[in-house]
Amino acid sequence: MPPGFSNIVEEARRSARALWDYGEHFFNPTVRLGVTGLSRAGKTVFITALVHGLIRDGRFPVFEAFASGRIARARLEPQPDDAVPRFDYENHVRTLIEDRSWPTSTVDISELRLVIDYQRHNGADRTLTLDIVDYPGEWLLDLPLLNKSFEQWSAESLALSRQGPRAKLAASWHAQLATLKPEQREDEQLALDSARLFTGYLRACRDERFAMSLLPPGRFLMPGSLAGSPALTFAPLDVPAGGTAPDGSLWAMMARRYEAYKDVVVRPFFRDHFARLDRQIVLVDALSAFNAGPEALRDLEAALAGVLECFRIGRSTLLSNLFRPRIDRILFAATKADHLHQSSHDRLEAILRRTVAKAAERAEYAGAVIDVVALAAVRATREAQVARGRDRLPSILGTPAAGESNGGETFDGNTEVATFPGDLPADPEELFSGDDAFAGLSSQPAEKADFRFLRFRPPQLDRQEGDEPMLPHIRLDRALQFLIGDKLQ
Amino acid sequence: MSEPSPHRRPQTFKLDDPGVVVMDADEHGRLARGAVRVTPEADPALLPVPVDVPLVPARRGFRWGALFFTALGGLVLLGLGLGVTHLIEDLFARNEELGFVGLVCAVVAALALFVIIARETLGLARLATIEKLHLRATEVLVSDDRAASRAVVQDLVRLAHRNPQLARARAALQNHAGDIIDGADMIRLAERELMTPLDREARRLVSSAAQRVSIVTAVSPRALVDVLFVFVASLRMIRQLAQLYGARPGALGMIRLLRHVIAHLAVTGGMAASDSMIQQMLGHGIAAKLSQRLGEGILNGLLTARLGLAAIDVTRPLPFTALPRPALADLATDLLRKREDGEE
Repeated sequence: MPPGFSNIVEEARRSARALWDYGEHFFNPTVRLGVTGLSRAGKTVFITALVHGLIRDGRFPVFEAFASGRIARARLEPQPDDAVPRFDYENHVRTLIEDRSWPTSTVDISELRLVIDYQRHNGADRTLTLDIVDYPGEWLLDLPLLNKSFEQWSAESLALSRQGPRAKLAASWHAQLATLKPEQREDEQLALDSARLFTGYLRACRDERFAMSLLPPGRFLMPGSLAGSPALTFAPLDVPAGGTAPDGSLWAMMARRYEAYKDVVVRPFFRDHFARLDRQIVLVDALSAFNAGPEALRDLEAALAGVLECFRIGRSTLLSNLFRPRIDRILFAATKADHLHQSSHDRLEAILRRTVAKAAERAEYAGAVIDVVALAAVRATREAQVARGRDRLPSILGTPAAGESNGGETFDGNTEVATFPGDLPADPEELFSGDDAFAGLSSQPAEKADFRFLRFRPPQLDRQEGDEPMLPHIRLDRALQFLIGDKLQ
Repeated sequence: MSEPSPHRRPQTFKLDDPGVVVMDADEHGRLARGAVRVTPEADPALLPVPVDVPLVPARRGFRWGALFFTALGGLVLLGLGLGVTHLIEDLFARNEELGFVGLVCAVVAALALFVIIARETLGLARLATIEKLHLRATEVLVSDDRAASRAVVQDLVRLAHRNPQLARARAALQNHAGDIIDGADMIRLAERELMTPLDREARRLVSSAAQRVSIVTAVSPRALVDVLFVFVASLRMIRQLAQLYGARPGALGMIRLLRHVIAHLAVTGGMAASDSMIQQMLGHGIAAKLSQRLGEGILNGLLTARLGLAAIDVTRPLPFTALPRPALADLATDLLRKREDGEE
């Protein structure tokens, strides 16, 4: 697409903001940490655990500045944006520790500013400001739409909805679509029906058994304050990719609303929260894709590739800092590593590396530093060896959430179990080798599945002297060291 | 234990199931047939993480001292040049042939000086490489960074290329380069492959130097001879150790190395007390009662061994993690055993 006038204006606005920020934070640098992840990847828990650990003197032996005592303290401060709700850190901590349940899924954007007082190696006192944004992961899927026209998006969405297990779920929407002619007169009622059925199909794809990831537009799933507005009342039509819409037709109406969606929803979201990131952590929940099957894994791969294309990645220079901030470090993190025995973490990392291979290659080529890590922001399990006869299974101990089921049994949320989730293959390619690479819930009954990762409740923690207990984690400190360690030298 | 099958299916056991027994690793109860035994493991996150204090504190800030000596050196060199030029001019004035001889001498001297400087610089650079490698390896051991560990091992292999005895170890290490190994494990692997033969040789060098010192001290007629000999033997030992681990320090390099060894000795000096030093000295107090010279000899030997250990720490390109750090006690036993062998 040639750069239109609106793109140039957009670019100028971003540059102006970047320049302003640069002047403001010349002496005490601000790091904008982009916590990126699709829905249910664990963004909220990651942010909560990170803030909690830094404020409450967590156990971070690998985070050098923290472990060697150079960080005097970390504290929360009022955030810079007045229009964005504050990240409800205190409530999330309470939910995790007292109710022993995970925070409910995020429905709106929120922001938090963490200020770290530290001393440099040479003795100078400095502060580092860390701005973190939390948002519904579904919204992230909108970013690739910025570069697509309505016709392109329609063709891609339709092609996708006719593949694999999606076709079944999309049946009712497909039936309605067949009765529509793009050239017919615009009709609000038809558009509403269409949008409703399309949203229903997207919702169905998210079920645990299918765990599809690539479901744009994200606001359809998590509309926030825009529910029912015209910008959210459109759906793909069966239109030729290169054609133009006749005036007054259904096609023209849908295309107009699609563009409005991009202007009203996607662009401001991108400009305010993603165009100015310095560091990025990409949280990936690969385990639910293993539960569901090969289609879900491929879908995850495609969704991540699409989303990561949208970020500006590359080595930071003075000039880029001034006008076009770039992300110079990206950490790809496989979350929920506590659902696996640590002996399998290497394999999980290898699989994640394969899943994000394209994005990682592009980032490295552009000069950014990347790393892959298996982490658990809050560790819900312990490890154990299970011996049965001559078999020894490296397993984990934990309390599955109420309603989780395995092997025909449904757990009540209070029983502790030892579970072995299935061996991950040594060669990640095995998982990507086609539709029957492994058996998941989307195509097989539960007892035939190759992997079963239960959802566990947060751990039982003892309070010490009325103080809040520390949240246990896996490699959260390594992630921190990679993301902001060099800023705290 | 049987080979694990290619893919093991997921399984879940309820802990309150009567067929499931939870027990610790050190319990060895008999299990009923078909019972499932669950053994909780220690939480690796709660184990202490040893973080090594860097051997040589990294220099920070502007180095005024270096600037001073550089400027002073420049002045001296200029003065020298001026003097030589005058001399040659005078020689030419007196006799043309004499002048040519002088010029040739000056050119040869300048050339030799250039080569010496180049060699010293190279030696210093090599020393710096090893120190940096050591630091980087320590960092990787903590951060477990895979890419950084590959880079460290690459550099290490290049360094070890000068030592032909390590050809097999190098090849073995390069075979592992493509495998998926965690960063810290990669460093440990490299240490096990490359450092084992070197460590053995280093230990031999230190204990032979210590023996030589203790024998000479025991039989030497004058204190001055002792001091001189201990100094020369220590220098020789440090140089040999540095060469063994891949650095070939020149004169300046030796000074730098000596400074680091002594600094390291000062840092670790406190540990000597907790080391078996005291015990050794008490034990040999009896020997000293029998013969003062014998006691002095053993003490000097032990001190040399201590210096050798510090030198090993400084010159070794990797920190000790997978392999045990040679302790003074081992060397002292070497020292005494040889001694006893000799006396029998």
